[in-house]
Amino acid sequence: MTAEAAPSQTFAHSGKFFNVLGLALKNAGLTIITLTMYRFWARTSMRRRLWSRTWVMGDPLEYTGSAGELFRGFLISLPCFFLPAIFVFYIAPVALEAVWAGWLTFGFYVLSVPLIAAARYWMRRYQLSRTRWRGIKLGLAGSAWGFAAASWGWWVLQLLSLGWYTPAARINRARMMWENTRFGDQPFQFEVQNGESPQKGMWWPFAFGWVGMAVIGLATPIAAGAVSAYVASQIATGEVEYPAYLPVLIGLSVLAIGALGWLLVWAPYNAAAMNRIASLITIDGARFKLRAKTISLFAITLLGWIFVIFSLGLLAPVAGFLQVRYILNRLELIDTPRFAEIGQSVLRDSDSGESLGDAFDLDMGVGVI
Amino acid sequence: MHARYADGRAAIFSDVDVELTPEKLFIRHGARTIDWDYADLARADDDNGRIVLRQKRKPDTGARLMLGGWYDDELKAVAPHLMKPRAQGVEGRLTVAALVTAAWSLAGAFLVGIPFAADPLARAMPEKYRTQIADISWTQVNNFTVQCPDSDDAAQILNDLAYRIMERSNVAERDEIWITIADADFPNAFALPDNSIIVTDELIGMAEQPDELVGVLAHEIAHIEHNHIMKNVIRQIGAGIFFDVVFGGAGAGQAIAIASVNLAGLRYSRGDESDADARGMDYLDAAGISTAGIARMFDRFEAYTEAEGAGDIPTMLSSHPASRERAIAARARAREGLPPSLSARDWRIVQQACGGADTLNEDAAPAAD
Repeated sequence: MTAEAAPSQTFAHSGKFFNVLGLALKNAGLTIITLTMYRFWARTSMRRRLWSRTWVMGDPLEYTGSAGELFRGFLISLPCFFLPAIFVFYIAPVALEAVWAGWLTFGFYVLSVPLIAAARYWMRRYQLSRTRWRGIKLGLAGSAWGFAAASWGWWVLQLLSLGWYTPAARINRARMMWENTRFGDQPFQFEVQNGESPQKGMWWPFAFGWVGMAVIGLATPIAAGAVSAYVASQIATGEVEYPAYLPVLIGLSVLAIGALGWLLVWAPYNAAAMNRIASLITIDGARFKLRAKTISLFAITLLGWIFVIFSLGLLAPVAGFLQVRYILNRLELIDTPRFAEIGQSVLRDSDSGESLGDAFDLDMGVGVI
Repeated sequence: MHARYADGRAAIFSDVDVELTPEKLFIRHGARTIDWDYADLARADDDNGRIVLRQKRKPDTGARLMLGGWYDDELKAVAPHLMKPRAQGVEGRLTVAALVTAAWSLAGAFLVGIPFAADPLARAMPEKYRTQIADISWTQVNNFTVQCPDSDDAAQILNDLAYRIMERSNVAERDEIWITIADADFPNAFALPDNSIIVTDELIGMAEQPDELVGVLAHEIAHIEHNHIMKNVIRQIGAGIFFDVVFGGAGAGQAIAIASVNLAGLRYSRGDESDADARGMDYLDAAGISTAGIARMFDRFEAYTEAEGAGDIPTMLSSHPASRERAIAARARAREGLPPSLSARDWRIVQQACGGADTLNEDAAPAAD
């Protein structure tokens, strides 16, 4: 008998909250005492933990990356990113005319948009090349710079359209990523069927998010102003003592309500986009299906944010774990690929770690993009 | 015993028989028998309830052997090293100790080494860079002060007095130092990287006698003579680069470095302040000016700090050690019977600079000629 006979649940994550929290706490402690230099080891151990508890048709994923590789990638990024950054931010302001230094800083930020996209691609390439299932390696073909250039163009279109190009940009990015993704020698496809719009089901939730953001953007400062004015009037009458922390409290409350509103209005769009993207991915004729729901996605994201904010980012991997578990436990594969026909990957391994991914802190130590 | 084996050439596991002998592990896969050395094996399961073995050799062929967790004892008997965390890729204590040592050594180099070398580095800094940094500081100064067209006479009086003091103490920078009076709504005096000294009209208003103001000027001249400003900038840039590299370019370092060339960064270390106090009082002694004036000024700073709170205390006033201790030190050196540093006429001209301070003390006793 082989393991090809699929169990009732194709995808499952068996990670336990306290098991992951324990590892995250240990990693956070060591990260602090090593002034963050432990982060490469922390990331590796967390990925090993999350991958090994991801079950696909009853067999676990395996993470084969090492901290040494990530550290080497960081060392590579030192001359490629940090030295130019040190020049731009530390030397140029004193060595160049103020105007030139200003333009250099502006150029650096503009260039960082495609650079971040390229870093994201390299990071994903590294992660996939260090992921195996049944001993077969995943991989990412294609050019990171091609992805970066295309992403930059989409970013410009998003800006020019006041955000309305975002659903199309998201689908475009997913298409470019998934069409270059391989499981062994088998490519994934990203296909739209029956002449449907690739963004089918995403526009109304996006419109809800866009309008909701506009409302929050207007309502939050107005509400904050009204509260401040009321408090000021109470203070003026002398009936209320003025606590020194009141402005901070009002500011934080406004920030929290704004963030909560932001999360809430975009939750339908995020759920719709995730479901849509999953539905467009196929491998050897087998199609994926994700059942992300607005409320549950909102709750899980909110919980993750709480962990990130209250731990100052140190427990960000717990947020990542919650998201990964949420998605995997709602993911299905319709039909079964011919696994016996899928051979080992012939893609060259990524040998530069995650380089700029660390510089930009793209995954906040979560380990999953 | 039964197990499952993937040969790394196709994405399937096959059922196999496994024999664990004291020397080797044998896998019987159909008609084939594969033998693995225990020393060449590592775990790929991260304690997920299965034991997954792989060979450590590179390149990884993808061959995997999956045993049920119930074979723990059998495996432990022949290959105890596979039950240790190291077999799962968990780093040893030596690695953690090396990381802690490396991180704190790096911190020492940047946060202790660079401050230690700040003096020679500051002296070696090309004039052009110093001027650029000064330009940034001047931009900041112009943001919250107004130049007074009617203060030329007053500024000339202060500059003549300062020159006389510096000449007595042979201050090398005496021909480069220039005092400017600025209109601002707070009392302050500070030195800039181009050897300028800014005195606000409110600080002049705070002084009741010229010796009090001259004591502050002497203190600022000492900061310039001992190059404290550029040393401070270099210290903070060193810290900025360290935080940027260690924390992955999240921007904390840049914030520190930018602050270092802004006025907010012109806050000196305790050592620098004590040094400037002592050297400033040397100037006063050499010029025959009583340090009782600066002692009274320190008393006023303390009163001002108590009245205004410690939130936004300007450079000269915010310094540690505490003003009370500084006043005691100055009073201990004070000599009786010395003439005031400015004539009553000159002092009145200085007091009227920028239209006179808003808070100018009308009852200030004019100094005797």
